[in-house]
Amino acid sequence: MARSFLNIIWQTALLWLVFRLGGYLVGALHLALPGNVAGMLIMFALLATGAVKPRYIEVASGFLLKHFAFFFIPISVGLMSFGSLMRQSGLALLVILAASAAIGAAVTGMSVQLLQKRREP
Amino acid sequence: MNNLPLFALFVVLTLGAYLATRWLFLAYRHPLLNPVFLSTVALIAFLQATGLTLEEYRPAKDVMTYLLGPATVALALPLYHNRRVLKSHALPVLSGVIAGSLTTMAAALLAGRVMGLDGGVLLSLGPKSVTVPIAVEISRLTGGEASLTAAFVVATGMIGSIMGPSLLSLCRVKSPVARGLALGTVSHGQGTAVALLESETAGAMGGVAMAIAAVFTALVAPYYLPLFLR
Repeated sequence: MARSFLNIIWQTALLWLVFRLGGYLVGALHLALPGNVAGMLIMFALLATGAVKPRYIEVASGFLLKHFAFFFIPISVGLMSFGSLMRQSGLALLVILAASAAIGAAVTGMSVQLLQKRREP
Repeated sequence: MNNLPLFALFVVLTLGAYLATRWLFLAYRHPLLNPVFLSTVALIAFLQATGLTLEEYRPAKDVMTYLLGPATVALALPLYHNRRVLKSHALPVLSGVIAGSLTTMAAALLAGRVMGLDGGVLLSLGPKSVTVPIAVEISRLTGGEASLTAAFVVATGMIGSIMGPSLLSLCRVKSPVARGLALGTVSHGQGTAVALLESETAGAMGGVAMAIAAVFTALVAPYYLPLFLR
């Protein structure tokens, strides 16, 4: 128990380091990319080249991804500050967001599945 | 941090709401029991009822979201485990995400115009499907309002992750690759979080879609969005 806790700590530190590296590179190179996504791509490259072995980050990654949704709760609470806009045109915005998300998801989901099937009949 | 008890209260409440709603969701698996949605509603209701402000919640929020960056980096691991799928499906993946990104932007702006929203709100709506840090940058570039865009991004994440899974099932999209990509394309990290609850492969694809959609949207939005404002 104590050991796996320590594992989570130092593995998280490694993830954090790559996250900061991503942010730094994006800033230095003026890339149109958020630092966390850049960090994800860097970590993928490290894994693909074998510089980082999956077991170096396995425990912490498993834990963080299992609770990935948690991080969006404090962020979503921020919606509170748009109360007046919501009262004014909240329904219209809700319809727009829902309809556009639905169409986008259907287009991606169906086209990917279709192209997949065509490849492996 | 000048108000430690309040800080502790917010952390305990947020964690408690998350654990309770997560348990509820896993027990019943109903999309409306989305943990982010229910917890957010509960916390906002609490703040409203007690008269506490968002400003007072912020220190707790900053600490609790501190690990979101490292967690996004952690998505590289399921991505790595799925590298063969990714390589053999490079074309469907890329074209699917691009098609979805273009469609959702067009649909949002056209619907917004029909409903008579003004130009500033429309431009803030444009990048709503990509992850917050990049959506805010795009919004600044195209003339939208950053804080409004951030709110749309979060709302889209919530809406997409609540109705996305049922909608995809309705469209008979069964492949975990396609489901993960669709959720990540329209609902970034929150869609990815729901995809991760479905399967590791779907979660990994959510991360892929989020990355491709972010890069692609950043590249085309400044030229694409104005087409719908004329």
